Amino acid sequence: MKPAPARVGPAPAVLAAAALQACGGGASSGPGPVSGLTDAQVARFLAQAGFAATAADIAAVHASGYGGWLDQQFAAPLSQPHFDWMVDNGYAEFAHRFDFAGVDPSQWRKLIGSPDGLRQRVAFAWSEIFVVSMAGLPVTWRGMAAAAYLDVLEQRAFGSYRDLLEAATLSCAMGVYLNMRGNQKGDAATGRVPDENYAREVMQLFSIGVNELDIDGSLKRVGGKPVETYSQADITELAKVLTGWEFDGVSATDPGFMRRPMVHIASRFAPGAKKVLAVDIAASLTGPAALKVALDTLANHANVGPFIGRQLIQRLVCSSPSPAYVQRVASVFNNNGDGQRGDLKAVVRAVLLDTEARAIAFAPAGGRLREPVQRFVQWARSFGLQSAGGLWNVGDLSNPATRLGQSPLRSPTVFNFFRPGYVPPNSELGVNGVTAPEFQLCNESTVAGYLNYMQTVIASGVGDLKPDYSADLALAGDAVALVDRYALLLSGDGLSAATKASIATAVGSIKIVTDANRLSRIQAAILLVMASPEYLIQK
Amino acid sequence: MHIGKLRSLQRREFLRRGSALGLAGVAAPWALNLSAIGEVAAATSPTDYKALVCIFLYGGNDYGNTVVPYDPDGYREYQKIRQSLATARDALAATALTSRVPALDGSGARQMALAPQMGGLKALFDAGKMGVLLNVGTLVQPTTLAQYKAQSVPLPPKLFSHNDQQSVWQAANPEGATSGWGGRIGDQFLASNANASFSCINASGNAVFIAGQQAVQYQVSTAGAVAINGVNKTLFGSQACSDALRALITAPRSHWMEKELNRVAARSISAQSIVSGALASLTPLATQFDTSNSLGMQLRIVAQLIAARQSLGVARQVFFVSLGGFDLHDFLPDQHPGLLEDLSGAMASFYDATRELGVSDQVTSFTASDFGRTLSSNGDGSDHGWGSHHFVMGGAVKGGRFWGKMPAVAVNGPDDVGQGRLLPSTSVDQLGATLASWMGVADSDLSRVVPQIGNYSQRDLGLFA
Repeated sequence: MKPAPARVGPAPAVLAAAALQACGGGASSGPGPVSGLTDAQVARFLAQAGFAATAADIAAVHASGYGGWLDQQFAAPLSQPHFDWMVDNGYAEFAHRFDFAGVDPSQWRKLIGSPDGLRQRVAFAWSEIFVVSMAGLPVTWRGMAAAAYLDVLEQRAFGSYRDLLEAATLSCAMGVYLNMRGNQKGDAATGRVPDENYAREVMQLFSIGVNELDIDGSLKRVGGKPVETYSQADITELAKVLTGWEFDGVSATDPGFMRRPMVHIASRFAPGAKKVLAVDIAASLTGPAALKVALDTLANHANVGPFIGRQLIQRLVCSSPSPAYVQRVASVFNNNGDGQRGDLKAVVRAVLLDTEARAIAFAPAGGRLREPVQRFVQWARSFGLQSAGGLWNVGDLSNPATRLGQSPLRSPTVFNFFRPGYVPPNSELGVNGVTAPEFQLCNESTVAGYLNYMQTVIASGVGDLKPDYSADLALAGDAVALVDRYALLLSGDGLSAATKASIATAVGSIKIVTDANRLSRIQAAILLVMASPEYLIQK
Repeated sequence: MHIGKLRSLQRREFLRRGSALGLAGVAAPWALNLSAIGEVAAATSPTDYKALVCIFLYGGNDYGNTVVPYDPDGYREYQKIRQSLATARDALAATALTSRVPALDGSGARQMALAPQMGGLKALFDAGKMGVLLNVGTLVQPTTLAQYKAQSVPLPPKLFSHNDQQSVWQAANPEGATSGWGGRIGDQFLASNANASFSCINASGNAVFIAGQQAVQYQVSTAGAVAINGVNKTLFGSQACSDALRALITAPRSHWMEKELNRVAARSISAQSIVSGALASLTPLATQFDTSNSLGMQLRIVAQLIAARQSLGVARQVFFVSLGGFDLHDFLPDQHPGLLEDLSGAMASFYDATRELGVSDQVTSFTASDFGRTLSSNGDGSDHGWGSHHFVMGGAVKGGRFWGKMPAVAVNGPDDVGQGRLLPSTSVDQLGATLASWMGVADSDLSRVVPQIGNYSQRDLGLFA
C-alpha cells in the first residue's frame, strides 16, 4: 500500500468529531481503516458521486468503501418532497398559480442542504437528460407542476429506466412542456393532425437518439453512413399513439392534480393501427395499452444503454469516455447481473466504480469541465451553508454576465444547457473532435460572470445563506495548510504542487493583524482554488 | 478520442492568410496577435466598413403566420389549412405588402402580408430597406419533390431535428460541427482587421455559426464586455491575490480543456479593456430600444460596437444575436405574435440605429431559424418543418420585394413534403454565398465559406442593389 498524503486538515468542529468517530478515533493520517483509500481519492470520488466532500462524507467513505457508501446512499431516506415543501411554505396558494415562486428555493434546499448527495447529483443529471424547464410551462399551477416533476426525477433516480421513462412521459409538467397533454386524434374535416413534439423528443432525447449505436456508443454504419434510428413516418405514427392524455382532474383551487400522472380520454385517441419502429400497435389497443407497447419498444431498443449510459458518464465523470467504458456501462444497463434491464442503481454504480472513473484522467482530454451549478453547490456544501430563515432564496442564477449562466430546471430549451455532442470550436478539442458539453456555456462573458459571482458569495453568501468560516480561522495563519485543505476538499487534491504554492504565496502575503485578515485569507484561498483550471477541469 | 490528427485545412488556410504576418504555427487563433496583424493589415484591408448580423430565431419559426397569404384565394387556402391558428384577414390589412417588382416566378396574383405585429418591418419593406427571401432552407443541392420522395439525391442530415438543423443552417453539418459560415466569412477578413479578435462577435450564447476555422467567436453581454473584478481590482484587498488570479486563469496549459478554458479567460481579460474603453468614449445612441426586448438589447450592443468600430480596429465584422421560444407546438396563437412583435421592433430599432450612425448601407441583417414549420395545425400549434421565409434588411439591400420562389399554399401541394412542410427552393448556401460576396469575399473563395456552393448555378440571389 502506498503511503497516503496527510488526512484532511482541521475541519469545523462538529464535522471533525464525526470524522474521528467514523474512522475509529485518532486515525489522523494514513488510509482509512476499511477503504484503504486516501482522502484525496475519496474527495475525488465524492465530487463525482455527489456535489461535495465534507469531512463527514470523507469519513463515511473511509468507513464503508466506495461500494458500501453507494449502498448507504441508495438506501438513504428522501428528504421532504418539493411538492410538499411548496405546500408547507405557501407556494401552493392561489396567488402563486401563475408563477414559479418556491421552485428555485426548494431546489437549492435539496441541492445544498439534503444529506442524500448521490441522489441529488443523479436527479440533477436526470433533469439535464429528461429536460423540463421553467422557461416553457405556460400553465396554471406551473410552479407546482415543476415541483412535482422534480419529485418524479428524484424518487425514480435509482429505480428502473422504464419506470422513469413512463413517469416522466405522464407527468403533467412534461405533458405541458412537450405538449402531449391535450394532444388529440387528427380531424380529416379540418386537416388537424396530432402534435408531434413529444413523439420526436422522447425518441431523440430521452431514449434512443437519432443514430443507431453499437453497444460502445459508436455509430453503426452501413455503406460508410450512419443509420438513422427513426423516420418522420415513425414520428407521425408515434404522435398518434400519444393522443388522448389529459390532466387528472383540473382544479383552480387545488393543485394536487399536478402530482398525479395524466389520464387517458378514449374519445381523443387516434383510431386505427399504428406502427412505430417496425412494431405493430393493433387498432384494438386502448390508448394506455398502445402507450405501453410504444414505451416498451423504446426502452428495449438496443440504443438506450449506450445512449443514456454515455450521457450519465458525461454528467458525472468525464466528457469523452472511451468506447470500452461506455460498453461496460451499457452492458450493465442491458443486464444488471440478475437479468434485469435498465436497473439505474446498477448503472450508476457501474458509472462511478468503473476503472476509468476511479483512475485520475491524465489524458489531454480526460475529465470534464465542472458545470457552474455544480461548482456553486460544491462550495455551499463544503462550507456548510444553511438557510437561516428557511427561505433558501438563492434565486435564479441564469444570468451569464452576472451570475452562473446556469440554474437548475431553467434550461433554455429541451436540448439542455449543453449538448452531449458539443465540440468546442477553435480549440485543440475541436481539432481533435473531442466532445466537451459543458464548454457550450463557456465564453468570455461567463468566465467573468462566474468569478465575479463566486467572489461575491464567498464573501457575503446569498439570500439568507451566509458562510461561516470561523472553524477555519485557526488554520488561516498557515497559508500552505489552508490551501492544501481547500485543494483537497474542492478538487480532490487535483491542484499541482506549483499551483498550490503560488496560491499559498499570494494568500500568505495578506498580513494577519485581526480576524478580518484571516477571513480574507480564507476567502481568497477558496476563490483562487475555484478559479484554477486544475480545479475547473474535474479529472 | 482522436489525438493529433493533422490540421491540414486549418494549416493551409492559416498559412494562406497569415504567412505575410510572420506568425508561427496554428496553435492558437488568439496567436493572431493584435498588433502583429495591425502592422500588415493595410496591404489587404478594405477601406470601408461592413458588417453582417445574423438574427437566429431558435425553435423553428412558423413561416405560415409570419408572412401570410393575403390575396383572397391565397388567404382562403391558408385559412382552410390553418383553422384555429389562422390570423384574421382584416387584421392583416395594415401590414399587407406591395412588392415593387412583379414576382420573378410569375406568381403575381399572390399578395402576402406580414403578421399584424410587424409594423416596423412593414415600414422598412415599404422604404425598400427590407425584403423577403421565400422558402429558404437547408439543402445539399437543388432538390425536386420527386427527388425528395425517391431519396435520389443527398439530403441534409437529420431533417426536422432542432439541434441538428440549427447546426446545419449555421454550419452545414449536424451537432458537433466546429465552424459555421459566419465564422468562415470572418476567416476571410482576419488579416483586414487590426484587431482580429473582434471579427466575429456574439451577443447571444455560443453558436457555431460565428466560429470560423481561425476566427474565434468573441462573446459580449448586452451591457458590453464583462470585467473580472478580482483581476481589475484587488482581490479581497490583496494585490498579490489579484495577480495570482490573473496568472492562474491565463497561464498556458497542456491539458486541452484547461488550455481552452484559460484561452477564453485570457481573451476575456484582454478584450474587455479594449471594448470597455471603446464603448465608454461613445456618444450615447439616441435611437431607443425597448429594454424589455431581449433581442433588442442584443442588437443595441451590436449597434454600440459598430459605433466603436474605429477604436476596435475592424473593417469587416460578423455578429450573432438570437431570440428563443419559437418551438410552438402549442400556444402558437397566444405566444407567436409577441415574439414577432419583439423581432420586428428590435430589427426596426437596429436599422434606425445604423442610420443614426451613418452606416445603414454598410450593415446587413438577416433572420435565420432551425427550420420552418408545418402549415397544418395540430390543434394549438404547428410541428417541425423545413423551408421558411426570412428577412434581409439594410440600406444596401434592394428591398421592398420578394426573392426566390413563392410556394403554393397547400398541403400535398407541389412544394410540400408533408403537412405543409416546405421543400426549400433556395438553399442556405446560396444565401450565405450572396451575403459573403456582399461582404467582399472573392468569388473564388466562396467555397471556403459555403463548401456546397458548387452544387448551384445561381450563386447570387440578387439581394443587393
